[in-house]
Formats: sequence, C-alpha cells, structure tokens
Amino acid sequence: MRLLRTAIAASSLLALGLTACTTSTPTETAEPADTTAAETTAAEETTAAEETTAAEETTPAGEGDIPQGNGETIYLVSKGFQHRFWQAVNEGALQAGEDYNYSIEFVGPDDETKVTQQLDQLQTALDGDPIAIGFAALDTGAAEPILQKIEAAGIPMVAFDSGVDSDLPVTTIQTDNAAAAAEAAKHMIELTGGEGQIGVICHDQTSQTGKQRCDGFVDYVKENAPGITVLEPQVAGEVGLAANTAKAMIQANPEIVGIYGTNEAAASGAVQGVTESGVEDLVVIGFDSGKTQMDAVRDGRMAGAITQSPVKMGYETVVAAIKAVNGIEQPEIIDSGFAWYDANNIDDPEIAANLYE
Amino acid sequence: MAALTQQWWCVASKQPGKRTYEGVRVTRTLLELRDISKTFPGVKALQNVSLDLRAGEVLGLCGENGAGKSTLMKVLTGIYTHDPGGEIWLDGEQVEVTGVNHARELGLSIIHQELNMVPDLTVAQNLFIGRDGSHKGGWINDAELNRRASELFERLGMRIDPRSRVGDLSVARQQMVEIARALSYESRILVMDEPTAALTVAETEALFGMIRDFITPETGLIYISHRMPEIEEITDRVTVIRDGEFVGTVNTHEVEMREIISMMVGREVSAEARPRNVRQSDEVVLKVRGLNTRKLLRDINFEVRKGEILGFAGLMGAGRTEVARCVFGADPRTSGEVELHGKKLNIRTAADAVRNGIGYLSEDRKHFGLLLDQDIKANTVMAAMNDFHVGGFILDGKIKTVGTEYSDKLRVKTPSVNQLMGKLSGGNQQKVVIAKWLVRNCDVLIFDEPTRGIDVGAKEEIYELLETLSAQGKAIIMISSELPEVLRMSHRIAVMAAGHITGVLDNEDATQENIMELATVGHAQLAGDAA
Amino acid sequence: MSEKNNVDQKPAPTRAAAAETADAPSTMSRIMRSSVQQIFVFAALVGIYIFFMFAAPNFAQFSIALDIVQQSAYIGVMALGATFVIATGGIDLSSGTGMTLVAVMAGVFLSGEWMNMPLGGGLILVLLVGGALGLANGANIAYLGLPPFIATLATMMVARGLALIISDKASISIKNPGYGWIANGQLIPGVPNAVLFFILLAVVAAVMLNKTLLGRYALAIGSNEEATRLSGVNTKLWKMLVYVVAGVFVAFGAILYSARFGFVQPAEGLGFELNVIAAVVIGGTSLAGGRANILGTVVGALIMETLKKGLLMMGIAQEWQFVVTGIVVIIAVFVDNLRRRRAAAA
Repeated sequence: MRLLRTAIAASSLLALGLTACTTSTPTETAEPADTTAAETTAAEETTAAEETTAAEETTPAGEGDIPQGNGETIYLVSKGFQHRFWQAVNEGALQAGEDYNYSIEFVGPDDETKVTQQLDQLQTALDGDPIAIGFAALDTGAAEPILQKIEAAGIPMVAFDSGVDSDLPVTTIQTDNAAAAAEAAKHMIELTGGEGQIGVICHDQTSQTGKQRCDGFVDYVKENAPGITVLEPQVAGEVGLAANTAKAMIQANPEIVGIYGTNEAAASGAVQGVTESGVEDLVVIGFDSGKTQMDAVRDGRMAGAITQSPVKMGYETVVAAIKAVNGIEQPEIIDSGFAWYDANNIDDPEIAANLYE
Repeated sequence: MAALTQQWWCVASKQPGKRTYEGVRVTRTLLELRDISKTFPGVKALQNVSLDLRAGEVLGLCGENGAGKSTLMKVLTGIYTHDPGGEIWLDGEQVEVTGVNHARELGLSIIHQELNMVPDLTVAQNLFIGRDGSHKGGWINDAELNRRASELFERLGMRIDPRSRVGDLSVARQQMVEIARALSYESRILVMDEPTAALTVAETEALFGMIRDFITPETGLIYISHRMPEIEEITDRVTVIRDGEFVGTVNTHEVEMREIISMMVGREVSAEARPRNVRQSDEVVLKVRGLNTRKLLRDINFEVRKGEILGFAGLMGAGRTEVARCVFGADPRTSGEVELHGKKLNIRTAADAVRNGIGYLSEDRKHFGLLLDQDIKANTVMAAMNDFHVGGFILDGKIKTVGTEYSDKLRVKTPSVNQLMGKLSGGNQQKVVIAKWLVRNCDVLIFDEPTRGIDVGAKEEIYELLETLSAQGKAIIMISSELPEVLRMSHRIAVMAAGHITGVLDNEDATQENIMELATVGHAQLAGDAA
Repeated sequence: MSEKNNVDQKPAPTRAAAAETADAPSTMSRIMRSSVQQIFVFAALVGIYIFFMFAAPNFAQFSIALDIVQQSAYIGVMALGATFVIATGGIDLSSGTGMTLVAVMAGVFLSGEWMNMPLGGGLILVLLVGGALGLANGANIAYLGLPPFIATLATMMVARGLALIISDKASISIKNPGYGWIANGQLIPGVPNAVLFFILLAVVAAVMLNKTLLGRYALAIGSNEEATRLSGVNTKLWKMLVYVVAGVFVAFGAILYSARFGFVQPAEGLGFELNVIAAVVIGGTSLAGGRANILGTVVGALIMETLKKGLLMMGIAQEWQFVVTGIVVIIAVFVDNLRRRRAAAA
C-alpha cells in the first residue's frame, strides 16, 4: 500500500506544478482523496481541486518562504535543448524565474550524446558566475572536475532529470519512474479487472529509467493483483520490433488481456501489434507522449498513458536552486511528478502542457 | 637446427656442378611413390602412378597441365591423402604423410607455383611466420629475425634485404625468398613447381646454382617445368605422366627433348620452328607516338601493321607490360598518342580501348584476366557483353552457344562450359582468356606472356592460334620473356630497356644475341645517360 | 561472331569426344551442387520451424507463418538489394538509418501536415530518395575510391542526422490510406500485401542478379574487379549502379516498414543494417564477393524472423534471442564454408 500511496501522492503533483506556474494564489491543503480523483477519468471536475493540491504540494513550506530575487542569474545546463521535452523544462524554468524574479539561462547540447559539448556549457555556466547552477548530467564522471570547481567557487548546485552521481548537488529533481510505472499498473489492473495475462514491452533494459519503468509496473502488479500473470517482459525499443513482439505475445498467450509499453515506440508498436492480430478488448497502456501515442489514446486504441511533467521539472529545479542559495533545507530527491492521461483528459491544459507530439 | 647447419656447410663448400656426385653414383633410393591413385568425386586424378627419387639427383617431372603433376606433389607433401592401396616409402620405410607440417618434419618441402607470402610483411617476417623459434611467448623480435634472415641469404648467396616489404619485391625476388624459406627448413627432399615461370635468364641461372648447391648425397629434388631447355640442363632423369597415369622415366642425357615432349602429349612433335609468315600488309593499324608515364616509360614510339605480330623483348622490369597496359588504358599516361587506323583515339580507360577494338591478355591471368568464381562461358563473353544482352537482360542461350563454340575451337579441356574457371589448368584458362578477346573481335590484340605457365602441347596450340589470327589480319603485340618464342613468332621485334624502346629489329636480322645486346647494353647506356 | 573469327583448329576428335561424353553427368552434378546450397538454408529454415511447432505454444498455424513473412519483409527487401552490394565484395552499412530517412521523407511527401502529395507521385519521389542515397554511396565508393565500409558508414551517420533534423525528432504520421494499403491491404484475402511485395521484389531481384548485365557485372566485379575492368567493363559505373539499386531496395523496405505502422520514428533504424547483412550472409552470399544467392537471402531473412517469433512465443527474454541468432549465423556460415570447401576440393 505504500507504493499505492506514493503513486497517488506523486500523481497528484502532476499537472500540478504547471498549474502552479500559472496560478498565483494557492494555499489550501487538499486531502489525498482529492488527488486520487485527479487521475481518474473525471478529470474536468477535479481540475480545480487539483490546482490547489498541486500548488500546495509543490511548495510544502509555503510560497512565502521562497525569497524573491533581484534578477540574479540561475544557470540550467540540461541534456538537450531542441527536443520538446527539454523545451518544456525550459518553459517551466522560465516561469519560475518570472515568478520569483530571477534571470534564467537555459542551455543544453544538441543531443544526448554530446558529452563534451555539455561540459563546455557547464564551464561557461561557471564562468558566468551565476548564483546557482542546475545540471542534468549526461556523464557524471566526465563532469566531476568541473563540478569540483563549481563547488570550490561556492556556487550551489542542484541536479535535475537524472541523478548526478556525486555528493555535490544539494538535491535532485527527477521523475520517479518506478512510481509512475506503478501508476500505469494501477490503471491496468482497474481496466482489466485484475484477471488474465499481461505483457510488458520495455524500451530499454540497461538504463535506470528503462528498468524502473519496467520493474515498477511488474512489481506493483505482482503485489496488488494476484489474478494477473505477468509474462516475461520483452525488450523492444523500435516500433517494428515492439509490434512483432506484441503480436507474438498475443498469439502465444490467448489469455492476454493487456500490454504495457514503456515508451512511445514500445507502446505504439504494441497498438499496431494488437490491431494486426485482430483481437479486441485488449488494454494497451503507454508511457510518455508523442503524436502516434496521443492519436492512439484519442481514438481509443490505447487506453491511456503516463506522462512525465517536464514543465514542473523546470519549475521545481529553479525553486530548488533558489532555496539552495538561501540555505533552506531540502530533501535529497524531489519528485517532479507524472500524470495519467487518457481520451478524457488529454486536452486539459495542465495535461496538454506536458504532452508534445 | 643441427641438420640445417650441416646442410649449410654443404652450401658453403660450393660444389661446382650438378653431376658432382656422379662419380660415386649413388643409386640409393631416397623416396618412392608406389601405385598412387587419387580420386576426387567423379574424377580420377591419378591412377597407379609410381615414381622414385634417388639420393643426390634432380628428377624432372613432366606432363601437360592437368596431367596430375601438382596433385601428385600435393599427395607427397600431405596436402591431399591418396586413395588406399598406394604407398610412400622414405629411406626404405613406409610413411603416411598426414599433413604439411608432418611432411616438413619428414624433410619434405614444396615450393608452389603460386607464391605463398604476405605482401605487407617484410622478407624476414615472411621467412619465419608460423615457425617455431620465430617468437618468444608471443613476442616477436624483428631485429633477431632480420639477423637470422641475413645469415640465411648470405649463405645462399642471395642479395635480398630482409627488411624490405615482400610486396615491393619483383616476382623473381619474391620467388627467391620463397626458395630460401623452403631451403631453411631441414629439407632433404625439395619439390619445385614451375619455379622459373617468372624468372629472367640470369635469375634462372642463379636458381640452378642454388639447386646444384642443394644437391648432396643425402638430398634429392623434384623439378617440375614446362621449359624443356631447363629440364635438359638441370635434371638427371625425367618422369613423365599423362592424364593421371605414369608414362615412363628416362635418363635425361640419353634422350632428345623432343622425345620427352612426345611422351607428354602422346603424339609426335616437330622440333623445328615453322617458317615465319610473310608480312601481309603495309596498312598500319596501331600507331603509338611519344608515350610517357610518370614512373617508367620514356618516349615510346612504335606501330603495328595489319596481320603483323610485333614482339616485345626485354628483361623483367624493362617496361614491356607497362607499355601494354598504358596503350590499353589500364594505367594512366602523362603524354603520348594512340592512333588506330589513322584515327587518333582518346583512351582513358580500359573500356575505351575495348570499345575501339583493342584487347589485352595480361601476364597475370589470375589477377587481371580471370573471374575464377565464374564459369567458362561467362568468362568467354565477359568483354563482349554488349552483344549478349537485350535491354539489360542477358541472353543465356547465346552465351552458352558461343561459349561452347569457342571452347571447342580452342580445344579447352573441360567437361562443360559450366565449369568454374578456378578448376581449369593454366593452359585451359589461357585459352578461355584468348577466347574472350576473340569473341570481342578485336583488331588489335596484346598478348602479355601468352604461354607463361602453360605446358608444351598447349603452347603449340597457342602459337598456332597466334598465327591464324595474324593470317586473319589482326594486329598483334606479343610480349614474351622467352627469346626463342619471340624469335619464332614475331615479324618484328621491339626491344625494351629501362622504359625505352632501344631498338626494333626485323625478324631476319634478329638473333638471341643482338636482342640481348639491346636489352642489356642499352640498359647500361641509358643508366649512364641518366646519371 | 563465329564467321568473323574463324579460328580453325585441327580437329581433336579424342578430346572433343571425351568432353561430350563427360558433359551430361557433369551438368547434372553441377545443378545438384548449386541447389544443395539452397537446400541447406531451406532445410535449416524448415528445421527451425518444425522445432518451434513443438516448442512454442500456438506456433503451428498458417497465420503465424504469414506473420513471419510479413514481419521479415522490410529487412528481407533491403537484404535483396544488399545482396547485390555484397556480391561486388562491398558492404552497405547505411541501409538501417537510410531506411529511416527514406521513411521520414515518405512522411514529408505524403503526410497531410507536410506536402500532402498524391500517392503515386509521392512513392516515386520516395524511391528516388532511396536511389539518391545509393548514388551517394556508389559515387563515393566508385569515383572517390572510398572503401565501402567507410563510405556507407558516413552515409549511415548522415542519414541518421538528416532523419532527426527533418522530422525535428518527432514521429511523423502518414495518414494516407493508400499508403497503409501497400503493407496492410489484402489483395489476397488473409494475406497482407507486404507478403506479396516481398515475393514480387524477390523475383525481380533474382531476375536482376541472374539474368541482367547488372547482376552479371556485380558478380564479375566481386569475383575480380581488375579483370573485369580490363575486359573493358566500366566497373566504376556499374559499381555505382549496384549501390543505387541497393538504395532503391532500401526505399522499398522503408515503404513496407512505415506503411505498416502509418508513422515513422526518426530515431529508429540504427542496427537494422546488421540484420540485413546477417540475412544475406546466412543465405550463403559470400562477403568476399563473386557469389550471391537471392533465394538464400530471402530464406536468411525468414530464418532470422522465425527465430525471433518462435523465441518470443516461447516467452524467452530478448538477450537470449540475440545469443541464439548469433549462434545461428555462425553455424550457417560455417556449414556453408564447409560445404564449399568440399565442393572446391572436388
């Protein structure tokens, strides 16, 4: 049940933080029950409740505790720049900067393989003498020397997206992938009635993210739905492979009632596999956004999916940086949240802000 | 290494002539093959062949290509296992040769017709590759290898730098390295398969010197060659096989070479060169003017008339092949013109040359002439594919018909034109290459060493072919290192030295002596000019 | 021909006669031998299939067999083109990401949000893009003299980059119904069109390899490029054309792949080229060039897909699927070498 609660609490943060960016008067504390309602299908009705919840939970110490700045620079070095995910992070960060009157510099390498480019950007950030630096490391080991220099320069540092494997950052703002996967599992159990076989298609078996998204789902189902048998998880990072995998799962396991894919390719492929094998009433649940996945959610071929909250991640990173500058205590890890979306709530503004095609 | 040292001692003592041991006339049999048969699926390659090698002699092994010489030697050196029933006796003991390394342990080494060396390694590295003592626990000491190689070459009287890259050496020098390698094993019995195919006269003499040095009362050598003068000079006895069967063994100095040739081909062969054809026409077909290349050729001028065979003589490296390749467009030239029938051609690639009716048969069939993975008919039509397709689709029927026609005409010895080229003997491969250019119907044909590695019978056939083609009015350039061949076939002879044409002789005036004079004296003069 | 070059030789009755009598059995044994190669890969496929019929639940169904053909179609079609490249002794590493780039361009041409072209015109452009990729490979290899490995490695990277740039890293959907029909329609009820296209293209490739100048010259170049050049063949041109053909087959593969899903993921494709090469090699085409076998390539692609399908249906984890597929590649090539060595000794 602890997992369940974590999931509920976390998912309530979701659309959440973003609403915090746009709302300036949240104070009321919401009951957990309210937040659960947020992810159920009656999204529209709960919007108001959620806004308040979200704002409250993202700033547990109260908004007044976050000191306003005078346009000092906070530097964020992300893992990417052009990709929509990072643009959404940027958006959230800028919003926080505006809210608290800090100037935000957001940079990132061309893609997630450009380690040296990122190191150059980190060095540039240090040279710019900002009051704080936020960093999403592509390669922690490679960045270590510069991180030491930042530390020596007395500039507080926070990590975001994935952990920086070092003691130097004050805190890390990241999506709790395991909790998000558990959320997907919760919906899977609900939608399938807790009976039958479930297939799992993981997009990656080596990265931390990939493993958490896979294991978080499997563990939750095993713990909470004795009636469900989880088939051997298969790895398929490409649409074609995912489709073929889904098809083979369906053919080999007539009892199968649902398939969960851990990213857009895996989930979209699963949808295709289901379509091709001609079975109906099979629940497909996905992860992340992207046009094909969103189309599938809209037209019902996919029951729903989990999205991360990049906007909130950006916002929270800036908030954490401000707190670090002012020496305010923070937990080691701050969850940036996630959200369940389906055909009913996909166009809600707070969901849509985190979705990209 | 003990035996090796002993052998070197013999080398160092420099026995003067090949019949040194005749006085003591050792008749002890060193090696005996009895009733050796070898059957491949569907083919009986050897049938009850027997052969004996006496201690202290050089035994010639003759036979047309495809007669089974190479197969027999591969059985001897353990590359093939013979059929049950045959026996191999070494020093009076029966042995079963189980593999190449076992053969070496028994003191049997073979120098193959094709060189087996790694072109990118140095001479010394090649000499010791794969041998015990060439490394210590995987670490190779090149300095040590170079030193040992130097010693070896010194003892053998070879002047080869162990540090040179094998690929940079001439074929002849590569061959010497190969021979040195075989000698450096503790071999008592050495087999040489066509060792002189790529050697010049002087190098052949040097090789014979080495062979004579090698022969002691404890050793013997089997010498395979198509060149009768060499057989006559170096061997004591000759064993002839034909079509996988033993024909006979004779004492070399008791028979005429012609008789040996008759035994090989199974029919009488005239020893006389036929009278030369008279030049038929004054019409110049091919004219080459002022040809230069960056590396070698300087101001090459010559012309070939209709129906004429223009021989190209010269030592290795004189530039004969380079002229051929350059005229053919296979290599770039820096200046010079090629005219065909009085019309200037702009030849930049081989395709240009072929389009204009110039054909080139390379000296190195394997590398430049053949598609070993393809069958006879595909090779036959390779240069004339434009006549064998309609809109890009190949006319298989026509290819088969024409392939068969030419295969029959040139008497290619094969069960079928579907046979892969790689399975034919050298002479038959050469016939297919010739057929390729006949099918293309070229006006100008350049034959580069057309009889290299080809047996006597097939040689005669190729000479006849050249004469027939000349009678048909083709303009033919024939490059050859065998002076008798050049003298016999050519109407005129161009002699080259160091990238220059040092003289063009009419056939009536040409002798081996004046050709060699132009080829060598000219060389010295040119070197003097250059210096 | 014969009139022009009447090279009359003295008749050699004994040899000619010997040749004639030997002709019939040898032709027979040759046919036997060449089909042995194909029988071997085919037997391997059948063996693997039968194994899964017993080992994997529900495997023994006609629809599963159809699935295998359908799912192997895009790799198989690209492998058909790669067979020509490998026949010349070359290699094409750009087929995987090249396929993705072509598919992205298909999205650009056909998708409503982009150019929204009519299907026919769009498909022609798509094939041209594939051909252009091949042309780039071919020109770099034939005329600039780059080693095929390097030239196509470069194209592989360029194609990957371009696919991401053009798509702006987002998946592109191709909603054109006619486009989806290419892979998913059923001209024959129950059989996806992808299966038909695969068979059709395999026949085209087989004809091209065995019955056209292109195939003949590809094999000749792989066999001995220098000898082919000295036979007056414009080897550079033909080599380039071989890569162009391979590029067009990559485009066909891209169409079959993207038409099946109706969208393109621009980050995909890296690594597909290795499956393509594996299919060709399992099929008995020599990486050294000079020998190629289209039927073998088709069967090679089917073997790989059968393994994947069967192991998946057995519920075996992917890492083990890699191991098994790798072992099959080794066995296939080893047995093929063994057979060839024996044939060569004969």
